[in-house]
Amino acid sequence: MCLAVPAKIIETDGQQAIVEIGGLRKQASIVLLPEAVTGDYVLLHAGFAISMIDKKEALETLLLFEELAPPGGRPGLSGPGPEDGDLGLKETPAADDE
Amino acid sequence: MNNLPVLSYLDEFRASGPAGRLLDRLHRRPERPVRIMEVCGTHTMAISRHGIRQASPAWLRLISGPGCPVCVTSNYDIDSFIEMSLLPGVIAASFGDMLKVPGTRMGLGGARARGARVEIVYSTLDALRLARENPDCKVIFFGVGFETTAPTVAAAIAAARQSGASNFFVYSAHKLVPPALSALCRMPGLAVDAFLCPGHVSAIIGADPYRPLAERGIPCVISGFETVDILQSLNMILDQLDSGDCRVEVEYARGVRPGGNPAALEMMNSVFAPCDAGWRGLGTIPASGLTIREEFAAHDAARVFAVDASYSREPAGCICGAILTGQKIPPDCRRFARTCTPDHPVGPCMVSSEGTCAAYYQYEFQD
Repeated sequence: MCLAVPAKIIETDGQQAIVEIGGLRKQASIVLLPEAVTGDYVLLHAGFAISMIDKKEALETLLLFEELAPPGGRPGLSGPGPEDGDLGLKETPAADDE
Repeated sequence: MNNLPVLSYLDEFRASGPAGRLLDRLHRRPERPVRIMEVCGTHTMAISRHGIRQASPAWLRLISGPGCPVCVTSNYDIDSFIEMSLLPGVIAASFGDMLKVPGTRMGLGGARARGARVEIVYSTLDALRLARENPDCKVIFFGVGFETTAPTVAAAIAAARQSGASNFFVYSAHKLVPPALSALCRMPGLAVDAFLCPGHVSAIIGADPYRPLAERGIPCVISGFETVDILQSLNMILDQLDSGDCRVEVEYARGVRPGGNPAALEMMNSVFAPCDAGWRGLGTIPASGLTIREEFAAHDAARVFAVDASYSREPAGCICGAILTGQKIPPDCRRFARTCTPDHPVGPCMVSSEGTCAAYYQYEFQD
C-alpha cells in the first residue's frame, strides 16, 4: 500500500502537475511537495508527489553497487550496454511498476 | 548536473551483477543466528518475489512484521466502515486492497452485493471528485494506511473543507509505524535483532523517529525496494551488529531525507491528531493511530455516522495476529493453503496483495 514510483514532473500549475511515468502522462498533486518544479523526479504515491528523488544520492548508491560488482563484470556508469543486468543509463523515463 | 547521466531510477537499480556480489558478502559473514524484521508490505513482497529469503544464508532469518496496513486494520474498523457503506445515500470509497478483506459478517464486496455503492479509488482526490460529482450522496472514504498515505488523506480533507464539499467524509483507521515498532520490542518472547525500515513511510517521517529503537541496541536501516537495495541494507544491518554501533542509517538516500518531508508532515499534523489505536495482532497501542482533529469534525465519518459494530470478532482459527508480529510464519497456520487461499481468504494477510501469507503463497509455497 505504501508503493511509490518514480515520476518526472512535466509541468506544474499551482498545486497540480502533469507527471510522466513509463511514457504515460497523468495528473498529480504537488501540494505535499511544493518545491517540486518542472524536470524534477519525484516519488509518486496515490496521486501525490511525496518526495524528491535526489540524483546525486542515487548516483552515489549506484557507484557503491558498482564498486561491489564482480571484477570484469558488468559495464559501469560510463559504459552503458544493452544486455540485461548492466547499469546502462538509458534516456527513457521511469517505467511504472505494478 | 548537466554532466550527470540520465537516470530512470528503476532500471539502474535492477542490475544483477551487484546483487550477486552483495549476496556473496552476506554469505561470507560469520554464521550466527540473526533475525531481521521488515515492516513494509512492499518489502515483504520484494523479499518473497525475488527469492531473497531462500538466497540468504540459513542463519539469517528474514521475518515479516506489521507492515501491511490492510492486514493490521482491526475487524472493528472494517465492520464499522461496512456498516457505514450500507447506510442510505452513501457512496463508500476505498483503495482496492480493502475490497476483499472479510469483516465479521461480510466484506466490502459482500456489502456491494447487498446494494451498497462501493467505489474503488486510486487517490483520495478521486474520492473527493466523487463527492463533487454526487452532491446528493455522502461519500465516505476508508482512511487506511501508514504515514505514507495519511498526508494524502489529510490533503483531501483540507481541500474538502476549503471547497465546501460538505458531503465528503473520512473514516480514519490510519496507523503510525514507529509506535508499533516500539510496542513490538516490548512484547515478551519476541526476538528481533534489527529492523529493515520502510522506505516510503520514512520519506515522510525521516530517520529520527527510529532513533529510540537504535538507542536500545536495535539497528534500523531505511531501505529501498529493489533487490540490491534490500541486500545492501541487510549488509548494513549486519555491519552494525558486527561493530556493536547501533544507529539509524538510510540506504534509500535517493528518496529519503533525514528530516522527512516537512510539508507532508505539516499537512498530516494539521488535520490529524495521534490517538490510541487497535492493531490486529498487537492490540491497542498508545498514540499509534490518527484521529481527525475537532476543527475538521464535520468531515469525520466516525463522528457523523452512528453505526454499531459491537459484534466484531476476529476470524476463528486464523493466526494473522501471530504472523503480523513475526512470531509465526504462514506455513505454521493450519488454514494456510488449505482453507485459506488468495481465492478464498480467511485472514487479511492472505487477502492483501502485500500480506505475508499472500506473498508466501504466491512465491514461496510448494504443494
